[in-house]
Amino acid sequence: MAKKLKNYIGGEWVESITSDYIPVHNPATCELLAECPDSTYEDVDRAVQAALEGFDEWRRTPVMNRAQYMYRFKTLLEDRFEDLSRTVVQENGKTLDEARGEVRRGIESVDFATGMPFLMRADGLEDVSSGIDEFTMRQPAGVFAAITPFNFPAMVPLWFLPTAITCGNTFILKPSPQTPISMDILFEILEELDLPEGVVNLVQGGKASSMAIMEHPGVKGVSFVGSTPVAKLVYETCTRHGKRVQAQGGAKNYIAVMPDANMEASVKNIMGAAYGCAGQRCLAAAVVVGVGEAYDKVRDEVAKQAQNLRVGYGLNETTQMGTVVSAAAKDRIENLIQRGVDEGAKVVLDGRNISVDGFKEGTFVGPTILGDVTPDMTVAKEEIFGPVLSLMKAENFDEAVELINNSRYGNAASIFTTNGGYARDFKYRVNAGNIGINIGVAAPSASFPFGGQKDSFFGDLHGQGTDSVEFYTERKIVIERWI
Amino acid sequence: MASLNTFGAILTYAINLEERLRDYYQAAGNATRAQGADKRRQTLERIRREYVVEITLEPIDGLDEANYVFAFDNPAAQRDIESTAARFYADVSPKINVRQAQRALERCGKEHHELAQA
Repeated sequence: MAKKLKNYIGGEWVESITSDYIPVHNPATCELLAECPDSTYEDVDRAVQAALEGFDEWRRTPVMNRAQYMYRFKTLLEDRFEDLSRTVVQENGKTLDEARGEVRRGIESVDFATGMPFLMRADGLEDVSSGIDEFTMRQPAGVFAAITPFNFPAMVPLWFLPTAITCGNTFILKPSPQTPISMDILFEILEELDLPEGVVNLVQGGKASSMAIMEHPGVKGVSFVGSTPVAKLVYETCTRHGKRVQAQGGAKNYIAVMPDANMEASVKNIMGAAYGCAGQRCLAAAVVVGVGEAYDKVRDEVAKQAQNLRVGYGLNETTQMGTVVSAAAKDRIENLIQRGVDEGAKVVLDGRNISVDGFKEGTFVGPTILGDVTPDMTVAKEEIFGPVLSLMKAENFDEAVELINNSRYGNAASIFTTNGGYARDFKYRVNAGNIGINIGVAAPSASFPFGGQKDSFFGDLHGQGTDSVEFYTERKIVIERWI
Repeated sequence: MASLNTFGAILTYAINLEERLRDYYQAAGNATRAQGADKRRQTLERIRREYVVEITLEPIDGLDEANYVFAFDNPAAQRDIESTAARFYADVSPKINVRQAQRALERCGKEHHELAQA
């Protein structure tokens, strides 16, 4: 029987007051995995009150002790690593390797938070005037919340929660209602830590609970990852309510392939970038720009390698690409492919109507390649968020850079080349927050901020790295003399 | 037989191989070799957990389970089993693009090679 999920508020598992539950299905098998409450303003308010009540005791807990909780958290996560990874596969549809990779990256964020005694230190200067010293204190700011997406149900919450609470804040997490089970497990793990009541809170739900978080006066700041229209809404709503906000939006990531690139090795990496997580990641390669004679070579090599990818159920270790998250996502992706065709793109590889033995109802979209794509086409401009790679041609390096910089998005861009001059010029000139040099998925590790520019990010301080410590703390300046 | 076409498929196959070797040697009353196999299994589980690099996961080709046949039902086949295990590790380690994981697989291969020669 499917589990009826609860919220975790003030150190207790509690039922939402709602009577509306959202079914959570395994996108490969269509099995009903859980029922997720569509929590209400009252549920969020209860979580905020618990977080506010827990704040004072928690902020007075020495940072060294707060960091110790993270060491124990890491140990427990390692113990539940396979369990958590398998749950990610079941609710999201990605492969087991991808799920393990995401949990690993999540744990890296916990590793980062263990360094908080060093990261939270501030600086000072004596004798700014005769007998007067001045220094900075860094303090936790209150109750923070994160609204996280379906595509990395374990990793993205861990970008935020460990850093926020180790800084001394209390926290509310609202995961995607499409993939809420990983966080149900994560909060089982957090419960084992014996944190003081109210330090971590889980509210399951959809739009109503998201709006409640954004509008609640008790919430100091909000971290968000999702699509651009929603990121914009989150940014506008939160700033209107006087909150800090970091809102990561959608993307259309370009990869330039130069004629001098090692074609076979480059395309192997591009396979992972384009089709990893079935293209459902904000750093997925969406457009490959073949420069000059590289275009034909990259098209042929991509087609050769993509048609050999094994599509199937993610829990099977030999599966190289899993499902997309839902039937609605599959429909949207397939409609966008058709739109590309209607607008003149050439189908090099068609992943529509793929059938996977034993999983007839699964929401599979096979690897798709659209060739001869031009900048005016919808598939060149809109985020597809599926396993669809568009191929564009540029006459030279400058034209490739121009194509990339004309995108409204600026999450990531990569170049494959053996020429250091091109590589340097690329990272210097391209307007994207994460740059890959011979790396298709330019995902920053936990100690670096997750970049993002233009319509891919709304806010000032990014997630991860020292940006996140800035985001989750207040700096107080103390000017002192003894008279 | 499924092909060994992902990082996880290779590591999981290796983990299962060491588990079966542990059971094989336990049944044969060779506690030292059983312990060795179990230690390798634990190492490989840790490697699978710690060295899965999300940004460089790439398809792997040219390897198939069918190429490695182990006569675990034959108590006298120890040398053949160890030789096949050594060959398996020699084949798969160059296909792994994370050096630390590659090194762990190479080390397993070396140990199996030595056991085959013993």
